[in-house]
Parts: sequence; structure tokens; C-alpha cells
Amino acid sequence: MAAPPDSGPQSKEPESPNPDPEPYEEIEEDEENEEDEDFEHEEGEEPKTMTPEARIRKDRANMEALFKRLSTERVPVRVHDVIIKGNTKTKDSLIESKVEAVFRDATSFQQLLRAASVANTRLQELDIFDSVNITLDAGPPELPGTANIVIEVTEAKNPLTGDFGIYSKPEARSWSLEGSLKLKNLFGHGDLWDGSVAYGWGQTSEVSTGVSIPRFKGISTPLSARISLLSQDWLKFSSYKEQALGLSLGLLSTGNHDLSYNLSWRTLTDPSQMSSHTVRRQLGHSLVSALKYGFKIDRRDSPMRPTRGYAFVSTTQIGGLFPDLRSLRFIRQELDLRYAIPLGFYRAALNFGISGGVVFPWGNGALSAPSYLPERFFMGGNSSPVCSLRGPTSVLGFKARGLGPAEPRRLVRDNSNDGSSSDSGIDHIGGDLAVTAFADLSFDLPLRVFRDAGIHGHIFACTGSLNKLTENAYKGFSLQKFRDSFRSSAGFGVIIPTKLFRMEVNYCYILKQQEHDQGKTGVQFSFSSPL
Amino acid sequence: MEDGRAERERLTLVARKPCFGLPTACPKSLPVYIYLRFSKIPFSLEFNLIHPDSDQLPFVESGDYVAYNNEKGGVIPNLKEDGIVDLDTEVSGVPEWVSIKAMVDSWLADAVMYELWVGCDGKSAQKIYYSDLPWPIGKLLYFKQVLVVKQLLGITSDNAERREEEIYSRAALAYGALSSRLGEQSFFFDNRPTSLDAAFLGHVLFVLHALPETSVLRSKLLSHSNLVSYAENLKVEYVDANLSSSSVPQSDPSSSASKRGPSHWSSKPRSKAKREKTEEEKKFRRRAKYFLTTQLVAVLIFLSLLGGSTDTEVELGDDDDGLNYD
Repeated sequence: MAAPPDSGPQSKEPESPNPDPEPYEEIEEDEENEEDEDFEHEEGEEPKTMTPEARIRKDRANMEALFKRLSTERVPVRVHDVIIKGNTKTKDSLIESKVEAVFRDATSFQQLLRAASVANTRLQELDIFDSVNITLDAGPPELPGTANIVIEVTEAKNPLTGDFGIYSKPEARSWSLEGSLKLKNLFGHGDLWDGSVAYGWGQTSEVSTGVSIPRFKGISTPLSARISLLSQDWLKFSSYKEQALGLSLGLLSTGNHDLSYNLSWRTLTDPSQMSSHTVRRQLGHSLVSALKYGFKIDRRDSPMRPTRGYAFVSTTQIGGLFPDLRSLRFIRQELDLRYAIPLGFYRAALNFGISGGVVFPWGNGALSAPSYLPERFFMGGNSSPVCSLRGPTSVLGFKARGLGPAEPRRLVRDNSNDGSSSDSGIDHIGGDLAVTAFADLSFDLPLRVFRDAGIHGHIFACTGSLNKLTENAYKGFSLQKFRDSFRSSAGFGVIIPTKLFRMEVNYCYILKQQEHDQGKTGVQFSFSSPL
Repeated sequence: MEDGRAERERLTLVARKPCFGLPTACPKSLPVYIYLRFSKIPFSLEFNLIHPDSDQLPFVESGDYVAYNNEKGGVIPNLKEDGIVDLDTEVSGVPEWVSIKAMVDSWLADAVMYELWVGCDGKSAQKIYYSDLPWPIGKLLYFKQVLVVKQLLGITSDNAERREEEIYSRAALAYGALSSRLGEQSFFFDNRPTSLDAAFLGHVLFVLHALPETSVLRSKLLSHSNLVSYAENLKVEYVDANLSSSSVPQSDPSSSASKRGPSHWSSKPRSKAKREKTEEEKKFRRRAKYFLTTQLVAVLIFLSLLGGSTDTEVELGDDDDGLNYD
């Protein structure tokens, strides 16, 4: 029986007996077709007097012709069934949900190959399998033009893994050094349980445990929940310590959108008993119940060293949604815009960026109420604004929290009149309206050894402004005052990207700063991790 | 801005919530309030409603000067030492005054603490301390505070009844002694208010107004009618009178209250919270920190450059097939 030339993936090619270690790279060689009986039938009339060399040459020619046909012609085929093997704990529904959409849409052979590659990647992303093999098999003989997909998974033998690295979680405000233990796939739904201890910049330490489920019963978007105990020490900068016990739920996380809910009990204390007036008024307990929505587009070619493209991030937080009316009510909005233009020579690129943010309370008496201290904006120069998209937080050249409104601390008269105390005697209390902007020209260094290591240089200029609007301060706020509140710095430096983070050695020159700002002209290090 | 600064320069008492008809219902804050009213210094009253478990409250501030409750034995000793207001200059050497003050500060303070947190049903404590906090936080902090108080008073499940009897009997002894010392006078010593009057008046007003009628302590106090009338009279004269913050302090030559502003406080040696370091030590520590940081950074760069060269192939392979399917 002569099989119609246009139907069915017919090929005579050597079967590959060993499972592929990189299935998605060798998917083209992975097809097995068991329609040998048809093919042999067709080949039955061939004279058996061919020499082995001639047979090999003929086989090779057939194979090349087939591949040429497959790549140029449209060979219609549809998927009949998806067979899943190897999952002892994992639910079939989870695997099917990940792959059925792509296979349903495949109507030709090329699309099928591509779909198999996509499905493989998706299953690997679940992070619960040691290996994933996808094989294309012929459909039942009574249905021509169909194929079966055989998915063979090997579940992770050891469900417990440990990790250590530099991460950033969406609930956290900055990146951190973290050690975590992960328990994978405890209930077969692809659930990932983890417990972690993190220590971050800003004297933050956090102990947390969380679970993330890629798909649960009817809900198709991934869900995650996390309980964390966070402690931040700002005594040196603003004379307060913050402890927060929180529960955060990731409600929606698809592509560009991210929606999460956060309920936390926050306590501000001042063990040093040196805080300023504003901080003293805010010490105590509060309940923060906030909904956070983030929208992110990042079309830059590289987050560590962007040379072309743009990025836009918007984060909105609305607090005070708990039924209890005494929870903290505020609205916080952050915007980030980045743009990179390549210049063509020396891999040089011009990066521009502007970030802005505003926070204010809402509700009765909101106009004269102060904004919540930990939710205010603080600016400093620890990290580079080029690769981090975390709102208006960095102006190079200034110390951490070294920019913006400041208040004198408590005055303690002492017997020894020391004018040179180690702390400056002022608290940085943050602001409600923050704007930063920068321009950065990065280029390769002339030496080849630097180029190969990725080390490059840059010249930059940045500016930032932090203002208070609450407690009726907006009444005295004018455009002139806003213009005058901008501080700026400029400089040049060398950027050394490492696997974990991006380190910069910069010489910064402070062009304009105000009283109480802690800007220092000189050589500085800054570390950033792209989010 | 200027108004704000002027407001901050004025003497301000930050206390806990007012209720039960009292200007502030916390048994620690009320004596401080009464003391300032006795001294006739104008001051403004503000409230902190969100920090019930803080021992820094109440505090008195004026500009950058702050007198906390947990320093030097309390706000009143602080104010005396810093020269803001001292009503006890003539009695502080009298042994009887000192011992009566000690009795009020220990036995009666313990009795109030016991009655508020353990003895009664806790409704008064909830109203004073937790009514402005969201419900889950308030509940948890209340239970925590009950445990703390039991620990402070040395109450366990074994000796609970014994301790209760001890506390009440001491309170009864104290009331008896104070009642006989007071007689029909208006104040305890020299017919003028001292910090002893402030402390005891605060105690009596709290017990009479904030504790429920079923309270054992309250009934013990009510049995001494001269104490009750002492409190009611002083309340009318000092506490219920209108607190006008702009009133000029009346010069009272017989009173030894010094009305010097906080800018002239006498500088006395005060132990600093942070350790003192000499200049050399500071410089040495800073240099050591820079050295260690540079070493760490150099090691990290070396590791990443070394590790980076072997990983490039795998990364390239991933990039080829790393299609974005979202």
C-alpha cells in the first residue's frame, strides 16, 4: 500500500536508542516512526542486490530529501493523544495543563516540532523534574495524519534542595543574600515549598517560608503565599528599627502584570532613644493591609549592561483595605522609565532614565496627617540607577538615605563636650514626592582583557529631589521650590560585572547638595543586582 | 513651617489616651500630668495611641530636649534633675517624705498594676491601651502584657492567691498610713504640692474612675473618706480646670518651682548610650573595614572571572533555545 506522500510523518532513519540529555536541542532527531511496515512494503520491490555502500548512499539521499520536504513543504498533521509516562507523584492534570494548549494549535509538522520544544521548556520551568523527554509517535493506524505525543518525565529524586545566592522576591523591597531550603512537589501539584533566611542591604534580615503553586484545580494562574518575619535596622540613618510580621499572597502573575496582597503587622521602635520629633511620633504598632499591582515591560537587550531598548515599570500600592478601619491608609505610586541608545563604536551606549514616586495618606483628615515613615521614599547612592528598576531610590555620590528632608535628633547634654561624635545628630525622615533622573554613557575599555571580562567604563550624571507634601506642607509647595530641591552629581567610573552582581568603582563629584545631605566627592563603590 | 517650629519648642507631654473622664487614663502618665499642673507651667498635651507596650511613654519634650519615662527613674526625676521644674526642693531631705514616696511608688504602684491587668476582667486595660489598635494586634499585645505583668509581680499558678492577698493587704496598709498622715490637710507636706501628691493623686483618681466598681482595691480605697475627698478637691482645682496653653505662668514666690526654660538646664554628667571611642581607635576601625572590604571584593571578582570563562558555553547554548513563551 502506497501511503499518500502528503500524509504522516514518514521517515526511515536510525532509531536513537539512548534518551537525549538535551531533548530540546535535538528534537529534530528524536522522531521515531513505527510505520516501518508501510515503508518496508514500499521498499519491498527494491532489488536486494544493492551493495551496502550503495544502500547507505540511497538511505542518506532519502533522508536528505525527506528533511528538505519537511522543512520546505507544509506537512499537515494533528495531535491525537498526549501520553504521559514516568510521573508517580505529579498529577497528570498539571502536566496536561502546561502542554495541551500548544499541541492543540499545532497543525503542521514544523509547528509540531516547535510546540514540542515549547512544551519541554514549560515543563522544565516547573522545576520539579530531573529530565523531560518528548517523543513524537505515530497516531493509531486507522487515523491517518495524526501523531501521538509521548511525554516521559523523571521526577526529582531528592525533593529537598538547598540554595544560596542573591535574589529578590517581589514582596521584598531590596535584593538580598539568601540561603534557602526548597521542598519540591510535596503534593503532586508542582507545589514548591521553601524556607529561607535572608540578609540584605539596609541591615535587613528576614526569615520566611512560602509556597508557590503553578496551577491549582480550576485556577490557571500561579498562586503563591509567603509568611515572613522581617527586621530592618535604620538606627544609624533615621533612629528607628522596624519589625514586620507579614503574610503576602501572590494573586496574579502573568507576563507583564503582577498583583499581590500583603497583610503585615509592623512595629517601629527606637532602642537608642535618640530619635527626632517626627520619628518619635510614629513609633508604635500598625497594621498594613495593602494591594500591590505591578506592570513591567523590559525590552532592553541586557539588564546588566543595557545598550538598546526601553523599560517601563509601574508599581501601585493601596493600603487600608482591611475591614478594620484602623489599618494604615495610604496610596503609593512608583514609575520607572529607562531608554538605551546604542552608539555603534566601542559597544558604547547612552542610557537615560527617570523615576518618580509619590506617597500620601487617604481618608478623613488625610491632608494634615503624616505619611507612614517606612513607606516614604529615601534616596541614596548604594546602587546604580542604570540596571535597577526599583523606583526613585538612587543618586550616585550620596550615602544611603543621605538625601532629603532631615531633622535634628534628641539633644543630650553631656559633660564631655564632644563636637566630633560619630553620628551626625540628624535623622533622615524621607519624603513624599521623589524624582530622580540620570544620563549615562557606557563604553568598552581599549584593552582586550577588559573587553573579554565584560569590564567597561562609564560617565554619568544624576539628579534627584525629595520633598515633603503631607502635614499641610503641600500648601507651601511651589514649582520654584521644587526646582530648587534638586541635588545633582556627576562622575565617571569602571563597571565590573560578576555573576552575582554588578560592581562599580566610581569617582563622583557632587554638583549640588543641600544642608544635611550626605554627599561626598570621591571614589565610591556601588553594588547592584538587576531585578 | 515657622508655626510648626514654635509649636515644637513648647513644653509637650505625650501621654496615653484620655478616657473615664480623666485627661489621661494611664496610671504612669497621670502623675506626670498632675505634676505639671501643680507647677503651673503651660504645656500642651498630645497622645500616642499606637504604642501600648512602650516603656518610653509618657515623655516630656521641648524642641530637641526629651525626658523619657525609662531614664533615671521616671519623667519627674528627669524634670527635676534637668532643672525644668522641681517641687521637692524643701522636702526631698525629709526622711518621712522619702519613705512615704517609696511606699506609694512601690506598694500602690504594684497594686494598681495587679488590679488593672490581673485582678479585674481587663476591660479597663483594653479601653485605655488597645482601643485604637486594629483588633488582632490589640488582642495579642494584651495577652503579652498580662504575661509580662505576672512575671514582674512574681505570680505563678501556685502562688497566685497568696500573692493577691499580699498585694491587697499591703495596699490596705498603705491607705491606712496615708489616711492618718493626711488627716484633713490639703497636701501631705507643708501645705504645698510635691511630687508625692502628684503620684498619690494620680493613683487615687485612677483607682476611683478607671477601675470597675467590682474592684477590690477600689473598695479598700473608698473606706478612707478623707483620701477620697482630698482627691476630689484637688481634681476640681487642678485637673478639671481649663488647660489654657497660652496662660502666663503665675509667679509664686513661695514655691520653689524653677521656671527656667529647657535651654538653661544645668549640664550634669549623663552616661551616654553609645560607647565612647577615641579618635585613634575610630580611625583604626575605619581603615580595617576598608581593608577587609577590598579583600572581599577582590576575592569575589577573582572567583567570578575564573568561573565566568567556563560557563560561557552553557549560557550560549541556553540563549539559542531560550525562547520566550509567555
